[in-house]
Amino acid sequence: MYQQQQKQFVLTEEDLAGGILSDLKRIVREYATAATESTCPDIRQLFTKLTDSTLALQGQMFQAMQQANMYNTSSPVLRQELDKQAKQYQQMKQKTNQFLQQTLGGQQNQTFYTPQMQQSNQQQGNQPYYM
Amino acid sequence: MIQPMTGKELEYIADSMSNEDAQIKQCAALVATGTTPALKNLCSQMIQTHQQHYDSLLHAISHHQQMAPTQPQQ
Repeated sequence: MYQQQQKQFVLTEEDLAGGILSDLKRIVREYATAATESTCPDIRQLFTKLTDSTLALQGQMFQAMQQANMYNTSSPVLRQELDKQAKQYQQMKQKTNQFLQQTLGGQQNQTFYTPQMQQSNQQQGNQPYYM
Repeated sequence: MIQPMTGKELEYIADSMSNEDAQIKQCAALVATGTTPALKNLCSQMIQTHQQHYDSLLHAISHHQQMAPTQPQQ
């Protein structure tokens, strides 16, 4: 009777994996913060390398969980929402470019967003990264 | 040239070693109790990487030991 009332609290594989993944996300942020707050160049370099390495681990963990059906990604965004944001931020960019021309008399154009399939077309110079 | 380590840097290093240690234990728990081969393989690889991270952090402390001041600085 007494033994039947005893409960075993065992975490499932999914619980453990979820805990590891969320901790990895937090550790990446902590390493990035530590790098920005480091004074010694060698310590900053250490934290930068640890940020990269932990970010890679988090990516591997996420992929493994997704393949094991342990992770639900959020649903795709609607076309009209993309259109709305693209238009809004195109306007913001134009205004900022006008501001830059007025204050600096020149402008620079670069983007950090480059999907892999288009990377090979990339050219040197002032080309946007996303074409 | 290597500068002396600051108190803030040491605190980040110490917290980071605790994080790495906790990750090693969590990964070991998954390897020991898990059932998905891909996850178990990944976690056993991750244990090694976390051990390398831990050693690098520990190494940074020992590297800075010699140049650390023994009296409080103004």
